[in-house]
Amino acid sequence: MLFILSSVRHFLQRDARHFQIVFLSVFLLFGTLVLQWDVRWSRYTVLLGTSLAVQALFIKWKALPWNSLKSAAITGLGLCLLLQAGGLPTLALGATVAIAGKFLVRFRGKHVFNPANLGIVAAILLTGDAWVSPGQWGSGPALLFLVGSAGSMVLLRVGRIDTSMAFLITFAVLDALRSVFFLGWGLDVWAHRMTNGSLLLFAFFMITDPMTTPNAPRARIIWSMLIALIAFGTSTYAYVHTAPIWALFVLCAFTPLLDILMNGDRFSWLAGQEKPSASVPQEGTRPGSLLAIEQTMQ
Amino acid sequence: MKKNLILALSAMTLAGSASAFCGFYVARADATLFNDRSEVILVRDGLRTTITMSNDFKGNVKDFAMVVPVPTVLKESDIRIVERRVFSALDAYSSPRLVEYWDDNPCQQWLYADEVEMADMAVAEPTAMKSSMNRKEKDYGVTIEAQYTVGEYDILILGAKESNGLKQWLLDNGYKIPDTAHEVLDPYIRSGLKFFVVKVDLQRLQASGFDFLRPIQVRFESSKFMLPIRLGMANSSGVQDMIVYAFTRTGRVECVNYRTVKVPSDRNIPLFTQQRFGQFYKDLFDRSYKREGRNAVALEYAWNVTPSFNGMKCDPCVGPPPMPREFAEAGVDWSNNGGGQVFFTRMHVRYSRDKFPQDLFFQVTPNTEHFQARYILTHPAKGDLSCAAGQEYLEQLYYRRGREMDELNALTGWDLSKERNYVEEVKGKMSPERRNSLDQPFLPWNGPSSGGPTPMIALLLGLLALISGLFSLSARRNKAYA
Repeated sequence: MLFILSSVRHFLQRDARHFQIVFLSVFLLFGTLVLQWDVRWSRYTVLLGTSLAVQALFIKWKALPWNSLKSAAITGLGLCLLLQAGGLPTLALGATVAIAGKFLVRFRGKHVFNPANLGIVAAILLTGDAWVSPGQWGSGPALLFLVGSAGSMVLLRVGRIDTSMAFLITFAVLDALRSVFFLGWGLDVWAHRMTNGSLLLFAFFMITDPMTTPNAPRARIIWSMLIALIAFGTSTYAYVHTAPIWALFVLCAFTPLLDILMNGDRFSWLAGQEKPSASVPQEGTRPGSLLAIEQTMQ
Repeated sequence: MKKNLILALSAMTLAGSASAFCGFYVARADATLFNDRSEVILVRDGLRTTITMSNDFKGNVKDFAMVVPVPTVLKESDIRIVERRVFSALDAYSSPRLVEYWDDNPCQQWLYADEVEMADMAVAEPTAMKSSMNRKEKDYGVTIEAQYTVGEYDILILGAKESNGLKQWLLDNGYKIPDTAHEVLDPYIRSGLKFFVVKVDLQRLQASGFDFLRPIQVRFESSKFMLPIRLGMANSSGVQDMIVYAFTRTGRVECVNYRTVKVPSDRNIPLFTQQRFGQFYKDLFDRSYKREGRNAVALEYAWNVTPSFNGMKCDPCVGPPPMPREFAEAGVDWSNNGGGQVFFTRMHVRYSRDKFPQDLFFQVTPNTEHFQARYILTHPAKGDLSCAAGQEYLEQLYYRRGREMDELNALTGWDLSKERNYVEEVKGKMSPERRNSLDQPFLPWNGPSSGGPTPMIALLLGLLALISGLFSLSARRNKAYA
């Protein structure tokens, strides 16, 4: 027993992505088994399978390390949690665009768009057969606890808790100002909006993708506050209930600009295990920390 | 097993005395107000929404009045009166259904017909309204944006600056308003909503020859796709039921700020449930509502009902499919021009103030997957079953009935200890050897079965705790290394 525990611990410790994969799988199981989502297993299979297969193709083509399959698994799981479609080809398209986008749309050795986000946007815009259900988690303090604690564990390791918090706090303040102070709704209305599972999952697990957030901490804060601002405006005034997804898509396009304007260290998943490349400044990296220089691409 | 379907209908019964929808009923004078089951037809086409509200008001019609927040000042042509039978037709067509099958006798060949029944489901307790307000105020800050007479109704569209003025205006004009109404009126006023205020013109009602109130339909363009349920909860602390019949061109309608969950469907249940099918569905709904945390929207039906659609429209149909005229009446104006798909979603919301703090917001999805709430009875084969295949069949029947009892108990929580004979009677036709070889025994089926999401949540939380423990361990280890 002790041996199993210790090997599980070593497995999780080795790479923050392991945490992420475990948590996303737990959420998926929770949604499927407890919330009884309208699920067909073929959907999960297509999304995960396509993500992994496309990643494998690019790994072969670009001679990348095989451990980057983990990133594809995260993208695939993220899509399973969010993207719904009438037909399986739509899902395959979404997953393909999500992964291929990482390799094809790049700037200074970093991919521009958040993969799962790009996949969702592409599936919705290109086919008209896809959708996202913002209500599928419902709302509740339990969700805040579950998603929040799981998210914090990952984010503290990868150093992106600032992104999450800047988004959530900005959104919460804007919503409190409008719903509670301006419109006069009770605090329960605000709390119900803020504990929406989809919003929390987005804040903790989607915008925080360390590869597509700006490198500099200050840039990240501005970036996620802007996402919150756009998402809030669009959802409140235009009643686009999937607004955060569109806001992230738009802001990702500006990440390269923020990276040019503000210097910061590029992220690597396998910190401490690889040698830093010489071309990128290294201030801020600590031995054993995850804020090291990127070695593997994804 | 022969699955050959023929239709038959049974009557629908409605419990309760009155109903309300998005608005609250405001009675004039001292009439008691009720909130009960309400029905709404919701048609969404692009930015245009058509809402039809059923007026199942059973009190004295002169006391009837209602207030509904609407996003725009409606024109007279945007307000219509429609026939009550549209609701009955849509309800009949999309109701939860009971379907019967007959087993073939494996020792012979027979053909039977099947039968279908509809559920009745009207619940929630009527709640009386309280009101006491004396304040006088001359400047209400209320503008009458428009004033119409449509059918038997006098209609006002009010704009307001603040809730006290509106409340006072309504009181001074003979409407009764719940004390707590201001907590929702203010947010609505500040969101720029107008108030659609309706009362009955008695002379016109008499002249019309109707002795009941016909549904009112309003139509407007707005990016808001929602039902304002909060106003209807201002005078009620209990639960209310609302059935929403939604129509779109593309696919299902789903709620975006609450979960939309399918009611349990396609379940095999014991034959004796047929006599209490109404009660069965009520209890099933109640149990499923509680299991989902009392804050989910239940999906009861979703189907492509395009008049020209050649696929199967229901399996089985519990009523005649809606006719083009009924679609037009409901506000589905694109189906008659030969163009466009019509997708029908039926949702059942049981809401209360504590579990539904927000109004219901919806979105249209391209999801065209069909769904219906359907429960299955299977009659046993008749005749001589003494042949080997017949004995085999009886053994299967015995176990199947056990599973049906489990299912019924799990769905409704009914105490089935007195119904054991439903399973045991099968043994009577078995040969003694067969009877003795049966596995024993079944669960006692008394009282609500456990289960539900609680153990699962505990499991997941446990897993989370385990991972967090590991995380803290590994973090400490990291520190030690550093």
